[in-house]
Amino acid sequence: MILLVILIPIAAGALISLVPFKKRVYMELFLETLVIINSLLVGYLLLHRSSDIFTLVNFTGNLSISFKVDGMSMVFAGLVSALWPMATLYAFEYMTKEEHEKIFFTFYTMTYGVTLGISLAANLLTMYFFYELLTLITVPLVMHTLTREAILASRKYLYYSLGGAAFAFIGLIFIIIYGSTTDFVLGGVLDLDKIGDRTNILLLIYVIAFMGFGVKAAVCPFNSWLPDAGVAPTPVTALLHAVAVVKSGAFAAIRLTYYSFGTDFLRGTWAQDVLMIIVMFTIVYGCSRAVKETHIKRRLAYSTISNLSYILFGVTIMTPLGMVGALTHLVFHAFMKISSFFCAGAIMHQTGKHYVHELDGMGYKMPCVFGVFTVSALALMGVPGLAGFVSKWNLASAAVESGSRTACAGIGCLLISALLTAIYMLTIVIRAFFPAKDYDVSSLEGIRDPNWKMLIPLLIFTGNIILFGLWSGPIVKFFSGVASGTY
Amino acid sequence: MDFVQNFPAVSILMCLFAGIISSGMKKRSARYISMGLIVAVTVLSLCTLLYILKTGQAFVYVMGKFPAPWGNEIRAGVLEAFMAFFFCVIMFLSLEGGRKKLADEVEEGKTFLYYVLSDLLLSSLLALVYTNDLFTAYVFVEINTIAACGLIMIRQNGRTIKASARYMIMSLLGSGLFLMGLCMLYDLTGHLLMSNIKEQAALIYASGEYRIPLLIVIALMSVGLAIKSALFPFHAWLPDAYGYSTVSSAAILSSLVSKGYIFLLIKIIYRVIGFDIFNSSKIINVLFIFGLMGMIFGSLSAIRENDVRRMISFSSVAQIGYIYMGIGMGTQAGIGASVFHILSHAATKSLLFIAAIGLTDVSGGSRKFIELTGAAYRNKWAGAAFTVGSLSMVGVPMFSGFISKLLFAQAAVQNNVKMLPALIVLGISTVLNAIYFMKTVIRIYTPVDDGKYDSIRFKDMKSYTVILICFILLNVILGVSSQPVVDLIDQGLAMFS
Amino acid sequence: MYYVLSIFFPILAGIYLLVRKEMKDRKNLLITVAAALAITAVFVVFTFFFADPRMFTLFNLTDRLPVLFKVDEVSIVFSVMAVLVFLCAGVFSFAYMKHEETDESYIREKRYYGFYLIVFGVVIALCFAGNLITFYLFFEMLTLSSVPLVLHNGSREAVMAGLKYLFYSLSGAYMSLFGLYFIERYGNTLTFSEGGVISVQAAASHGGILLLTAMLMLVGFGVKAGMFPMHAWLPTAHPVAPAPASAILSAVIVKVGVLAVIRVVYYIFGVSFLKGTWVQTVWMTLTLLTVFMGSMLAYREPVLKKRLAYSTVSQLSYILFGFSVMNAGSVTGGLLHVLCHGFIKAALFLCAGAVIYMTGKTRVEELRGIGKEMPLLIWCYTIASLGLIGIPPTGGFISKWYLAEGALSSGIMGFNWIGPVILLVSALLTAGYLLPVTIYGFFPGADYDYGNLKKKEPSRLMTIPVLVLTVLSVLMGLFPEGIIDYLSHIVIKIM
Repeated sequence: MILLVILIPIAAGALISLVPFKKRVYMELFLETLVIINSLLVGYLLLHRSSDIFTLVNFTGNLSISFKVDGMSMVFAGLVSALWPMATLYAFEYMTKEEHEKIFFTFYTMTYGVTLGISLAANLLTMYFFYELLTLITVPLVMHTLTREAILASRKYLYYSLGGAAFAFIGLIFIIIYGSTTDFVLGGVLDLDKIGDRTNILLLIYVIAFMGFGVKAAVCPFNSWLPDAGVAPTPVTALLHAVAVVKSGAFAAIRLTYYSFGTDFLRGTWAQDVLMIIVMFTIVYGCSRAVKETHIKRRLAYSTISNLSYILFGVTIMTPLGMVGALTHLVFHAFMKISSFFCAGAIMHQTGKHYVHELDGMGYKMPCVFGVFTVSALALMGVPGLAGFVSKWNLASAAVESGSRTACAGIGCLLISALLTAIYMLTIVIRAFFPAKDYDVSSLEGIRDPNWKMLIPLLIFTGNIILFGLWSGPIVKFFSGVASGTY
Repeated sequence: MDFVQNFPAVSILMCLFAGIISSGMKKRSARYISMGLIVAVTVLSLCTLLYILKTGQAFVYVMGKFPAPWGNEIRAGVLEAFMAFFFCVIMFLSLEGGRKKLADEVEEGKTFLYYVLSDLLLSSLLALVYTNDLFTAYVFVEINTIAACGLIMIRQNGRTIKASARYMIMSLLGSGLFLMGLCMLYDLTGHLLMSNIKEQAALIYASGEYRIPLLIVIALMSVGLAIKSALFPFHAWLPDAYGYSTVSSAAILSSLVSKGYIFLLIKIIYRVIGFDIFNSSKIINVLFIFGLMGMIFGSLSAIRENDVRRMISFSSVAQIGYIYMGIGMGTQAGIGASVFHILSHAATKSLLFIAAIGLTDVSGGSRKFIELTGAAYRNKWAGAAFTVGSLSMVGVPMFSGFISKLLFAQAAVQNNVKMLPALIVLGISTVLNAIYFMKTVIRIYTPVDDGKYDSIRFKDMKSYTVILICFILLNVILGVSSQPVVDLIDQGLAMFS
Repeated sequence: MYYVLSIFFPILAGIYLLVRKEMKDRKNLLITVAAALAITAVFVVFTFFFADPRMFTLFNLTDRLPVLFKVDEVSIVFSVMAVLVFLCAGVFSFAYMKHEETDESYIREKRYYGFYLIVFGVVIALCFAGNLITFYLFFEMLTLSSVPLVLHNGSREAVMAGLKYLFYSLSGAYMSLFGLYFIERYGNTLTFSEGGVISVQAAASHGGILLLTAMLMLVGFGVKAGMFPMHAWLPTAHPVAPAPASAILSAVIVKVGVLAVIRVVYYIFGVSFLKGTWVQTVWMTLTLLTVFMGSMLAYREPVLKKRLAYSTVSQLSYILFGFSVMNAGSVTGGLLHVLCHGFIKAALFLCAGAVIYMTGKTRVEELRGIGKEMPLLIWCYTIASLGLIGIPPTGGFISKWYLAEGALSSGIMGFNWIGPVILLVSALLTAGYLLPVTIYGFFPGADYDYGNLKKKEPSRLMTIPVLVLTVLSVLMGLFPEGIIDYLSHIVIKIM
């Protein structure tokens, strides 16, 4: 069953390029149906999960490829399977203007399976395997347009990711050697007897491995691949570079910290402080770069960098509350960012404009898109009543609760970043709705909101953002359950 | 004595005679003899392996009737038999995969010579693997060198001649050093058989005398073999030799010849000098550091390279660095990892060479990167194979390279001092590997639609494709079910002492 | 229930206006707005009397963060002021917005009223907010919904000013959010309660960090109230808005900053926790600095609306100074000045708006003889100015009296005399920057060309709101007893 949900998308992706569809509509139907079915299966799997570990292959000794559904998997797999059908729907519309559709959908759908693989992995090795696979399978998506820029970007992406994985690999080795098992166990698997006096080395390795996984989560100084990868078609940038891929990095960091090394071992050490400072720096750095950027998608990409580090900040707090914060932001940010990226994509699709300064007055022509964008902007800023506030609140109260000075300084970073977020997001909104007085309206003639395939996902995301903002109780409670190990 | 115990000696002799016979044969039959021979040796080695596994211990086979310490012995353990088996497989695949190219590149009248040389090479490799006698080892090292030179030179153009001359000089330097080491060792111990030397060496070491001569012996032998196996910084001969010779030669040289020397070195460590004595010498650190440097600089040179074949050659330098790093780690696990890497690198590198040739062929024969754009669409299987090879080199799970990386890293963790440098260099070198291999993969998958070159269809290259698939399978098998292989290696290493 | 009505009715009305495609008839639009304003005012009054459960939880943002409303005396003081000013400015804008309008479907005017109503609702929500999180929620919404008012005319200057306003306000909000996190952790509750919510143990164990957050929150909320060092947005943003919007901004919205400070100091941290700490000292210094600096800058400023904006900076810090001294007299004075300044500054801005509307003149030196042209308006202006300067019998005199007296009797070394002195100097400066309009207006000098004099008294829609506000400010001075009683009632509770 677990294997099925991973394989269906991969097989479906492979089929697309093999089967000659008569019409585009058939392909759309075929894909959308499969993706939805798969999401339903995932839903079923998560709700009726068994606590057994399903082992696929045994490598050497205690190393195996195996799967299991635990709380963390529920969060991430649930998130991914909720977003994918919508993103696919959106992509159908968006890709009408791009070439090589089939190749695109092949890899796009395969990625779904691989991402699920990451989320359902039962041990570090399996996760590592799918993590590498994810890199490889998404490269063609980045490369899609085949311009020189795209190829350079995909190369950069590839080098960064594989390089990061290489260092994360070192962490894997240490867990194999010093852990009692490589399976994910909340609280960590390190065997303290085996460590003896080598605590510092282990901490160093933890930092290295964290940064290794952090490459995908675009931690400074390994962040420059993310904005460059924005040359990919928007559905890719939105879903992969705001959700699946980068969140995999964050997810892996959570697994590494909470489920492998264990917070008891790490809390209060220099490793925690070092990572926290790096992450805090990234938070501010990402935002400041976003303010400077004028290309919409690159701006959003920088914003992603900063927001990912929010999640990692939650991770580095290393308390259950910190994990709750990280999870909340992991999920909520996915909705907010995918929504804003889709808006950017819709703008580009409908008007062909890429830069912020070209957006004057468009708010009146595309009210839905910009309305949605405004909501996501406000949510990203953390305006109360929207999703972003809740996750920030959880992060910050975790930081306060942890009592660490660095964490308190981190709150400051969060708030500075919130301000910068306001700057880079609201300037877009203001431009769109309050064009300069002498603006020539006629140049916008013919621009309209996109059709339903694009709007439906947008509206659903917006609905979710508001819903989470106003009524986050149950979901946050679920996260606390995950963090305390009841799930 | 069981009948099977004759097999190692028989296979060596068979190879020698096959070489002699086929030199008088016509071109076609030389090939058939050669191929038949390899298959036969494969079977024999397999039988030997199974036999040893059954009996659970190594056996010694005395050539002629002279008992030790004068005689000439062959020793077969799990690892030896397995290596022989594996070498044959790779040899077969490499020869077969490069056959077409060979016909293009070598003069009609000379092809049979190629098979003669390869028979000789195989015999020398087998001898290196099996021998229990240092002097025999030396003799076959020389035969090996000469055969290898021939393999390089057989494609006659200026570059290969220069390359083979260079190879010859470096190799002879290496064998010279090895010979000097051998002489000194003989002086010290009075023996040539490995087992006997080891006993004596242990006594000498224990008595505390001749410390420095012993050290020099170790140094001479290690450096000699290191030169021959192209350890950084003695790798200058390698890129030309691999890069310009015909593809089978490149594949065989990179995956077998240099590995044969390394295997000999490992044997010397275990069976001649003694693991502990070797460990306590400083030479091991030198090997370790050279290994690390090789990992980095080999990859850096590969990144700078603009020629696919030479790039793969430079990557060999890096991979050999891995192996020496494993040896230099000074732990059982490290050597085990090295042995595994010998296997996985042999499987991967010959795959890469063979696949690269398929790609360059559909790109007008040019090996420049720019011409390779889109080559993977013109020759789909070669593209896929190259990708698999690259992924394995980068160390993506499910492929053999990942397992060797895993083993190296696990071995590294057991050594307090060498752990961090080893791990960090391992990480960096992975990144570097990723850079040049992935660059190539992206390049060959970047479509072009100018239609400059024709694509090639499956029909036109059946055997070539089958070979590629075999290589891919080999890689994946090593990557997925590595546990039996690792067990074999451990068992074999245990049998060494 | 009344809470919901009085808060969400105007907000929804505003959203309705924004969403609605077009309005062909301007009259309809105005009637809608007027009705919405009036109905809201009624609801607010009802809320004072009939909101039965004195604490109303709307819903829970998260488990521990309820959004709740309640009415206490402070809410009443602020909401009364807000409602009155909103009504007057609303009526004023019916006339004023006519000349800003160019396109037929009144999109821009509709937008203006839409946001005007939303801001109204949000301000009322802020007055009624029962805990810090609710307050913060609406505080952010206030910023966001009032930015469009600043942006209204769409010029480059306006956009820049709007952005400046936005970012200053948001950074202030985030600074206070920082504190909010800590209070949630170390306080007993987030609900406003007289005397503070900081638990004794927390105050003992985490006093340092709590004081730091208190300071941050003061500065953060102080941004809205234009307190130094985060005052720079105010003189930029207020003048570019349409005059009635400036009146709202200067009279009401900045008062929300004051309200925030009151809530934080007297209802969250508590006087006993803050009194005598470095926070109080720094705060007092900042306010006094702002009082002086605001007046000086206003004195040097030639453009009337900007001058008024600087004056707001200075006057608001009068109020804040009153609260920073933390004794009965000064707090009473502060609260009184909230009312006074609300009415007066609204009146002044509306006057300036009317002048611009009728003559298009913006600089003070252009206004020679203006008193002859529109005597009623300038009389109102003069009376209001006198109030701001603090000349009896206007309301300003009373409030300043209490402020000064409170400071004198505070017994805080240094500040007990520096404070009153600065207040006095600033009052002189106030006279210096406000009265020239009156003087030049009525006494244009010998070379004034009386021949061209035309009566330009604006329409009644404009004069009446100004008149009402002026009268209110005078009435406060004439009959202060009732109000002072009421205020001292509050003071006793919270001190």
